[in-house]
Amino acid sequence: MTIKLFTLLMQAALYTLGISIVSIVIGFAIAILLSAAMLSGKGIYIAPARLFISFFRGVPLLVQLLLIYTLLPVIGINVPSIVAAIIGLSLCTAAYQAENLRGGFDAVPKGLVEAADVTGFNPRQTFFRIRVPIALRLTFPALVNEAIMILKSSSLVSVVGIIELTKMAQDLSSSTYLPIPIFASAGAIYLVINWAIALVAGRVERSLPKVTA
Amino acid sequence: MSLPAIAIHSLVKRFGETTVLQDIDLEIPEGKVSCLIGPSGSGKSTLLRCLAFLEEPTSGMITIKGEALGFFENAGGKRERLPPAQIRTVRSKTGMVFQQFNLWPHMTALGNVAEALKTVRKVPKAEAEARAMAQLKKVGLENRAGHYPSQLSGGQQQRVAIARALALEPKIMLFDEPTSALDPELTGEVLNVMRDLAAEGMTMVVVTHEIGFAATVGQQISFLDHGRLLFSGPPTEIFAKPRHPRLDQFLDTYLDRGASMLA
Amino acid sequence: MIFDPTVILDKLPEIGSGLLVTLVLWIVGIVGGVVAGFVVASARRFGGMAINGVLGLVVEVLRGTPFLIQVFLLYYGGPFVGLMLDPIPCGLIGLTVYAAAYYSEVFRAGFAAVPPGHVEAAECLGMTRLQTIRRIQIPEMALIVLPPSVNLAVILLKESAVLSVITVPELTTVVSAIGSQQYAFLEAIFVLAVTYWVIVEATDRLGRLAERRLSRLRFSKA
Repeated sequence: MTIKLFTLLMQAALYTLGISIVSIVIGFAIAILLSAAMLSGKGIYIAPARLFISFFRGVPLLVQLLLIYTLLPVIGINVPSIVAAIIGLSLCTAAYQAENLRGGFDAVPKGLVEAADVTGFNPRQTFFRIRVPIALRLTFPALVNEAIMILKSSSLVSVVGIIELTKMAQDLSSSTYLPIPIFASAGAIYLVINWAIALVAGRVERSLPKVTA
Repeated sequence: MSLPAIAIHSLVKRFGETTVLQDIDLEIPEGKVSCLIGPSGSGKSTLLRCLAFLEEPTSGMITIKGEALGFFENAGGKRERLPPAQIRTVRSKTGMVFQQFNLWPHMTALGNVAEALKTVRKVPKAEAEARAMAQLKKVGLENRAGHYPSQLSGGQQQRVAIARALALEPKIMLFDEPTSALDPELTGEVLNVMRDLAAEGMTMVVVTHEIGFAATVGQQISFLDHGRLLFSGPPTEIFAKPRHPRLDQFLDTYLDRGASMLA
Repeated sequence: MIFDPTVILDKLPEIGSGLLVTLVLWIVGIVGGVVAGFVVASARRFGGMAINGVLGLVVEVLRGTPFLIQVFLLYYGGPFVGLMLDPIPCGLIGLTVYAAAYYSEVFRAGFAAVPPGHVEAAECLGMTRLQTIRRIQIPEMALIVLPPSVNLAVILLKESAVLSVITVPELTTVVSAIGSQQYAFLEAIFVLAVTYWVIVEATDRLGRLAERRLSRLRFSKA
């Protein structure tokens, strides 16, 4: 295991990080739409949102990626494989994040909403100024968890040929016959990134105000 | 003078840097009711938990009916831990009642009382249940045998907890603030069960804030403050005026727990 | 191109064998993971600081790295340390170890959720540690650990698909191979997705049913 191999792994780790961040952000945007649909109280919005969430939570990510890969060209969308990979990861994380958001909205203490109502906020103000910030605050730990999940899950895009950390480790392993040091290093890189995320998130979490009923 | 039920000798308990009990020497007489009183944080609950071996003393010795609890001093004067089976034997002489009842929520009242008979004493199921039922009858709850703890009032739960401790026929009963978690109107039923037990001649050690109970039922009152045993003696002596200023101060805060009758 | 999933259905026996391998992997992973996870959680709780620290680190590593990397390390790295494993045993071991790490955290939370006083009461009555675990702690934590356990079971089923990468002949491997042979890859993957989806939904429902059953017991009423 040389410095050169490790450098290659680190460069690939940047791809892993990039793919994960982009997917988390896009997934969050979709999740907001999904949770808005779930909270709308209207069947025509709830049913498709529920179907979406159930499907993407119920099917292995690997299978989702294969499906998107084969489906996109068939329906006439030709995009680079990296884009397909990001679409796959984004849709999957969107389903999980939507569930988290919904849980956050459900957990907003009723008393706080009532307090806003009696203070004279209109429903719209109550929603955007009270429920949304509190729900986001409550969802924060779950969001961090999801970020770590996606970082690990992004290893699966190696299966469709994206050269991120896992794929790089696989290629280097077969060309050098050094699977143990290479996969262990790749694992260590994932671990360090995850610990860093958890550490920073812990700091942020502590600095945020606590929500009490 | 017969052997004391419990002898506590130079007991020290520290949690890290904090000393919770300093050099306690106390004898609990056989067949009598001993009450440990004192302000919150005085160490009285910790002392009781040491007697139940739920806390291990940092130094000092406790003997129960003459037998060393948990540790013994070897020939060289060094403290050594006793084997677990022997610790269990000595502990089985005491029964413990907790402030929070600590009934097992997944078992009925009868199940709670019969459990240790079955698992620890290996009594056959039918006999264990018959004996458990007799204990429930003693605390006046035979008609609640099939109820789960969540279906009982706090006072009833505590009476089941007393029956559970009694089922193994301990020689000494330890009570850790048995009525502190109860609504005021429910303390009476628990105190009555304890009075009956005292009348039968059970040796009891009671950590309590019920000054009225301590003054009327207690035969030995020990007052702890800041981890020290300030004094110990019969209630007539302890509560007689003039009192120690710390005790006076303490009683002032417990006027509604029966201390007013001592004024 | 005409979308026709029935092309795949000629290959039902093969799909069945893949499904069987997946189910075996899944069930062994769950059972092994629950047992090993419980042992790990107990050892961490009762085994002293050193054991807790070491096992805690191992669990952190297993939870902080992708399952795929763990599988690669076991499959390609194993032979270098004298551990030559065929795909199926490799998959079984990998999935079980992975499951054990996650289940150990579930049980750790379960142990923590039992009020210490309930354990002290058992201790005061002379129950041994094993009796206390069996008679008090396990039944008391059952309701608390059930939902995350079902959740974890679902995650394990989905992770088992990853084992196709080391050619374990499970559902994903078999069905995508059929898809390639029949030039019906999209249909194959579609069938695959629906199969997993159905199993996951069924597991979820079963879990919720069990939860309702358990919580309807009289004792769990607050």
